[in-house]
Amino acid sequence: MYAIAIHGGAGAVPRATLSGERERRYREGLETALDGGYAVLEAGGTSLDAVAAAVRLLEDHPSFNAGHGAALTRDGAVELDAAIMEGRRLRAGAVASVRHVKNPIDLARRVMEKSRHVLLVGAGAEEFALEEHFTLVPNHYFRTAERLEQLESEQRGERVSDLVPPAAQGTVGAVACDSRGDLAAATSTGGLTNKRPGRVGDSPIIGAGTYAKNGVCAVSATGHGEYFIRAVAAHHVCAAVEYRGLTLEQAVHELLHQILRALGGDGGLIAIDRDGRIVMDFSTEGMFRGARDAAGRREIAIY
Amino acid sequence: MLFIATVSMTSAAALAAPPAPIAIVIQGGAGVIERAKMTPANEASYGAGLAAALDAGYDVLERGGTSLDAVTAAVRIMEDDPQFNAGRGAVLDHDGDAELDAAIMDGAGPRAGAVAAVLHVKNPIELARLVMERSPHVLLVAEGAEDFALEQGMALVPRGYFRTEPRERELEEARRAEAAHAAGTPTTRAVASGAENSMGTVGAVALDRSGNLAAATSTGGLTNKHRGRVGDSPLIGAGTYANNESCAASGTGQGEYYIRQVVAYDVCALALYRHLTLAQAAHEVIHVKLRRNGGEGGIIAVDRAGNIAMDFNSVGMFRGARDSHGRREIAMYRDAAPH
Repeated sequence: MYAIAIHGGAGAVPRATLSGERERRYREGLETALDGGYAVLEAGGTSLDAVAAAVRLLEDHPSFNAGHGAALTRDGAVELDAAIMEGRRLRAGAVASVRHVKNPIDLARRVMEKSRHVLLVGAGAEEFALEEHFTLVPNHYFRTAERLEQLESEQRGERVSDLVPPAAQGTVGAVACDSRGDLAAATSTGGLTNKRPGRVGDSPIIGAGTYAKNGVCAVSATGHGEYFIRAVAAHHVCAAVEYRGLTLEQAVHELLHQILRALGGDGGLIAIDRDGRIVMDFSTEGMFRGARDAAGRREIAIY
Repeated sequence: MLFIATVSMTSAAALAAPPAPIAIVIQGGAGVIERAKMTPANEASYGAGLAAALDAGYDVLERGGTSLDAVTAAVRIMEDDPQFNAGRGAVLDHDGDAELDAAIMDGAGPRAGAVAAVLHVKNPIELARLVMERSPHVLLVAEGAEDFALEQGMALVPRGYFRTEPRERELEEARRAEAAHAAGTPTTRAVASGAENSMGTVGAVALDRSGNLAAATSTGGLTNKHRGRVGDSPLIGAGTYANNESCAASGTGQGEYYIRQVVAYDVCALALYRHLTLAQAAHEVIHVKLRRNGGEGGIIAVDRAGNIAMDFNSVGMFRGARDSHGRREIAMYRDAAPH
């Protein structure tokens, strides 16, 4: 059964703070991405194309922390990370710390398909983008008034030490299973608000924020990246299913509510198995998410 | 000559409760390491470099130091040794610079630190450790990582510090092969892509008296690599992993394959979940899973009982192991027997 799930970040999203207008914008953004990805699957397209399409739509939507509208670094710039992986041949591509790539997920896919590498970072990744005829955009393309306000309010909060982690801010991602049973995962993010330039979270790290393996599962995570890296979160879920025979629900639950909680990290993740079964779970107050499958399920949720 | 094993003296104290085991394993890269291609002088020189790192790391453990300090000490020595592909003497990228990656992980916590694509940090493993201990982050890359180094009071070095003549020659060769390849002249893709030299890395894993595991890996990556390319070494789970509940592992090989298969973590996960011995888990990952996808390289690992694994599917791997049961060995070829 073909199916797709998406997320637009996890965190503290108490109902009271989300105005009706803002909530409507989030829901509309999630719906567009969900349906955009689903349309690819419905037309017989691959799970890889479906997750890329869904994530690109979320990157272009200013409400989510990826692409246009991504969180700002402490210097007021945007630094983006993204990864994509397909489960059939375990091919993967990722970019980190890029400042001028409109859709980092497209560049991650190009790294997978046109280079012999998996991960390119910084100016080198942008050099590759130019070699591949991407048009770069100025950094202010990504900046929105809302993110600038968030940065200023965070900086007024006077973080006293570099050891105090800034709040987790969100990520966008998608996982899908196509009619051939091929799995794929994609994740894209601007990382933490007020982050140190050069900081890379779990999103572009294969095995941490993004993983896909046919016959097992595809995973995209969102949350406090450093904890997800230490726990090798996405691959942990796959290993728990493959090696220990846990159900996808059990594997995800153990990771989020036992392992990450014990480490002190929170967040959420979406996962899909080879039968198109979807799990969306989180240890935060809420997670922007959506799921749609060939059996007629179509849902968008936040809390 | 290069296989040295000694049996330690059994003291009277050993009749009492056996002391907790300590162990350290190091690797200096896997690849085409053949007797036929190695001169006795080369062999002796690599052997001495490995022995210096192995013994320095072991000394830390023997004095009651932490596994974290032991792997840091061993890797720092190999970073400073121009023979190995890390720190000074690291391979050069397409632009002629050494772009360095490193990671360290403490199995207690677990906590980790890593840096990637740094150009001016003399000992990347020390910066990785500062990221772990002095920042809330795990991975810092490029200029942002170097900015953090300066904030921490670390002195940066010019790019020329890392460049050595043999590495400049290797880069020239790779560039020539690349040009020939582009012009359609028959040449092996491996040479054009620098894959012949693609498996250099240094790494160490250790178990200390308190039962804590640690892993560290450092590298210059691939000869003639694209600026910004990051391999498995600095990626937690791929090239470096440590968890007191399972094992500590450091990989060396074709990094892209190691990333896609999350190799270091997979060895530990197989040992823990499938109840394989560490050697069986390493064998499964290196000879079965990695092979199936065409990936080449090796892995070193140690668990809390002091079991050691050193395995590779390449021609050879620079490696060494030492533990409190009296094992001390340095090897580089498939058969570990003396030359």
